[in-house]
Amino acid sequence: MTQKELHTQRLVKEANERAAHYHSRRHFLRESAMGLGALAMGSLFGGCKDDKEQAISKVAFDAANPLASKQPLFPGRAKSVIYLHMAGAPSQLELFDYKPELLKLDGQACPQSLLEGKRFAFIRGVPKMLGPQAAFKQRGQSGAWVSDHLPHLASVADEISFLKAVTTDQFNHGPAQLLIHTGAPRLGRPSMGAWATYGLGTENQNLPGFVVLTSGGRFPDAGKSVWGSGFLPSVYQGVQCRSEGDPVLFINDPEGIDRDLRKASIDAINEVNRQQYAEFQDPETLSRIAQYEMAYRMQISVPEVMNINDEPQYIHDMYGTQPGKSCYANNVLLARKLVEKGVRFVQLFDWGWDSHGTDAGGAIDVGFINKCRQIDKATTALLLDLKQRGLLEDTLVVWGGEFGRTPMMENRDGKQNPFKGRDHHVEAFTIWMAGGGIKRGASFGETDEIGYAAVSGKTTAFDIQATILNQLGFDHEKFTYQFQGRPFRLTDVHGRVIEEIIA
Amino acid sequence: MFSLVGHFHPVFVHLPIGILVLAGILQFLERRKPAAGLEQAINISLLFGMISAVISCITGYFLSRSDDYDEQLVNQHQWLGIAVAALAIVLYFLRRRQQGKRWHWPMMIGLMVLITLTGHVGGSLTHGSDYLTKAFGSFGKEDTARRAAIANVQEAAAYADVIQPLLQEKCYSCHNKNKQKGSYRMDEQALLIKGGKTGVAIIPGKAGEGDLMKRLLLPKEHEDHMPPKEKPQLSEQELALLHWWVASGASFDKKVKELEQPEAIKPALLALQNKSGTPEKKLAAAIPAEPVAKADDSALKRIRSLGTVILPVSQNSHYLSASFITARGVTNKDLQLLLPMKQQLAWVKLGLPAINDSAMDYIIQCNNITRLQLDHSGISDAGLQQLKKLTKLQYLNLVGTKITANGLLQLKGMKGLQSIYCYQTGVRREDYASLQQAFPGVLIDTGGYQVPLLPTDTTEVKPATTK
Repeated sequence: MTQKELHTQRLVKEANERAAHYHSRRHFLRESAMGLGALAMGSLFGGCKDDKEQAISKVAFDAANPLASKQPLFPGRAKSVIYLHMAGAPSQLELFDYKPELLKLDGQACPQSLLEGKRFAFIRGVPKMLGPQAAFKQRGQSGAWVSDHLPHLASVADEISFLKAVTTDQFNHGPAQLLIHTGAPRLGRPSMGAWATYGLGTENQNLPGFVVLTSGGRFPDAGKSVWGSGFLPSVYQGVQCRSEGDPVLFINDPEGIDRDLRKASIDAINEVNRQQYAEFQDPETLSRIAQYEMAYRMQISVPEVMNINDEPQYIHDMYGTQPGKSCYANNVLLARKLVEKGVRFVQLFDWGWDSHGTDAGGAIDVGFINKCRQIDKATTALLLDLKQRGLLEDTLVVWGGEFGRTPMMENRDGKQNPFKGRDHHVEAFTIWMAGGGIKRGASFGETDEIGYAAVSGKTTAFDIQATILNQLGFDHEKFTYQFQGRPFRLTDVHGRVIEEIIA
Repeated sequence: MFSLVGHFHPVFVHLPIGILVLAGILQFLERRKPAAGLEQAINISLLFGMISAVISCITGYFLSRSDDYDEQLVNQHQWLGIAVAALAIVLYFLRRRQQGKRWHWPMMIGLMVLITLTGHVGGSLTHGSDYLTKAFGSFGKEDTARRAAIANVQEAAAYADVIQPLLQEKCYSCHNKNKQKGSYRMDEQALLIKGGKTGVAIIPGKAGEGDLMKRLLLPKEHEDHMPPKEKPQLSEQELALLHWWVASGASFDKKVKELEQPEAIKPALLALQNKSGTPEKKLAAAIPAEPVAKADDSALKRIRSLGTVILPVSQNSHYLSASFITARGVTNKDLQLLLPMKQQLAWVKLGLPAINDSAMDYIIQCNNITRLQLDHSGISDAGLQQLKKLTKLQYLNLVGTKITANGLLQLKGMKGLQSIYCYQTGVRREDYASLQQAFPGVLIDTGGYQVPLLPTDTTEVKPATTK
């Protein structure tokens, strides 16, 4: 017997055992000794639940039609979410959190009290303080502080609610991004968009319910897990679309295969899958069939919606797009188009905000300003365009990074960096929300005089997640998924809906 | 020792009420059906009711000696309680000896009346004399009535409009005319300043010194913290307001604008105004308040077969949200399929080019619609006029249609309307003023926003070159 045959034999054996797993009575009895007891206990405990607990989200999962639109727990204020993530973490001290006191301390050595017992990603020894590197003004009727780096956004400050004292406990990009998007700093949890599409499905069956768009030349550090489905059925993971070339990789039929032939082959594959399902009854098989069918429909609808060229010129001017290229402005315009077509969750990542000051691109007074210029016009246009179309009322727009930046100038390994920069900071940063039932022109949370730590209205990633779910019509404490024997939720055991910014 | 016995009064006091009322019910039943054999049960109930009434009287007496209560009310409660106990004893022995049978029933009725009165006075002592009437007063009203509306906070009276309402809400229940915990009464201006057992409550101008502010600011777990930790606490904003009022002289007659206002207090003051003066409108998620029956499943199935997405707005509502964005082939006629669910439809997204004025005949029958999206449809002014019949309409999206300002003006007088979107329509910027006048308080968005191109948008910042 050759090595290969032996290998095949083993594989077949394993497959057979696996199949037997589903069918053997002996297996059933052996496995169920504990199981039946646990079942009985479960129902006994179940009887103790009060009415409130009974209301725990009854999300119906239909494997054959996993993205069918579903109703939320209570009538949601937002139908869709556009999450603009500035990967790398922009400096709040140059954008929204105005600290004149910090300017007075510029260049002085950081007091020991701010360093004792603290750990930073790169700062070592005693760094110098770095005053705000931007001019600030109060804007609009709300008097929100927005710096001159964002002149366009400043003009729509009255549409926005600022959360100025967001905190996190992760000072590295990957874990912090995971925390914000999946509720845990480690891999394996479903992302916010996956939860939203799991709970609500999507209105348009010809498009994915959860679309991810990236710009800035790099993926977020946490990789694709930030839009993964974790333990939720895989159909809920974000579909990454591109604004350059084919919107979805391999979406076009290969050369020589026409649409009829493609249809015939998908039908054949589905038929095989159906037989497989008839034999093994595994719901993931149905999910697979649904995905094939959706992919086939998407071949027509996705290129159509992902094509920004049919937008009129004044819209392009408004967003400042660069057709044919991959850029943030194009992605933002796409996000609006997708939401208009009923997509539930659009997640944007724009990389390049990690302003350490190690090179010109990452300098607070050079590269950072360029990043601001890249997003300012498009973000503003998004808010205004959604507004004029009557969509801002039920589209929640969230903007933010994964953590903040230090009020100290970074001194990597104790030496001064060539450019002005700030290190990662977990104790305070700014995230803003607009539309989707969020107050207009509000601000919640305050930091101390130098913007080092939150002093009031402190919020966390979990609070942001709870608020987003709340706007979509879910109680974050009741919206759960049963996995590994316990109900999981996006916010785990944390989170508070930030009522202060809800209209 | 005595006060310990006294503190058992609230526990024991419920026994005579329950047991004696039970006796009353039993006697009522016995009168209707004398053969029921309840004689013995009534006697036993009376016996235990009588004993517990006596215990309640004794414990009550000790409690009353702790002095915290309004003397007059306590007196009333005391004698009414004693009367209950006495009457129960008399009735019990009369029944045991089978004497004066024709008085048993009138005495029982008297006993019930006395129990009710005693209980009510007792309740007034613990919860405040307006506890019951307050609930009647607000019956059916929203809780918002608790705080009087402040239209302009600067014109409001500092004490009567700002401070008193919060004291009323959080403090009066224990420090009022009838009940003065710690011998402190807050509903009288002089007494509010004077304080109780532990010293002067308010020293005008010195917020850090009076007993009141000190106790309010103690940590919640501290024994002397007020309000007691199980009671509703003052919010940070309320504390700030109180602090500000005391610090600025604890004046009872000045207006807010006459007092000095440090920067820190301004948000709190402004919040009062926003809270009740101009409440922010709840825009989305609006569904009619009245419940409706469930829509017919087979009718839903028929309309879904057209490719529409039609669903309840939430898991516990029968109101429906309908979206036609993926139902490209739908024509005006198909909309008659909506009629079986005309009561349930609340949100309708009908932005299809094939939909025009003749579809409105069906739409207007769905009179519970609150959100209607007709963007990019063929609706014109003629069809728009019909929408006036949708009395619950709040949100109307007409983006990309042929309607004009004159068409919109036909909707004048629709009370519920909150927002109208008419970007890319015949409505022009110049019409905005007249529209805003016709629809006061309604958000009318004609769109056409532009984001100007600034020189900085296209230039890049370069690092400064070292010389």
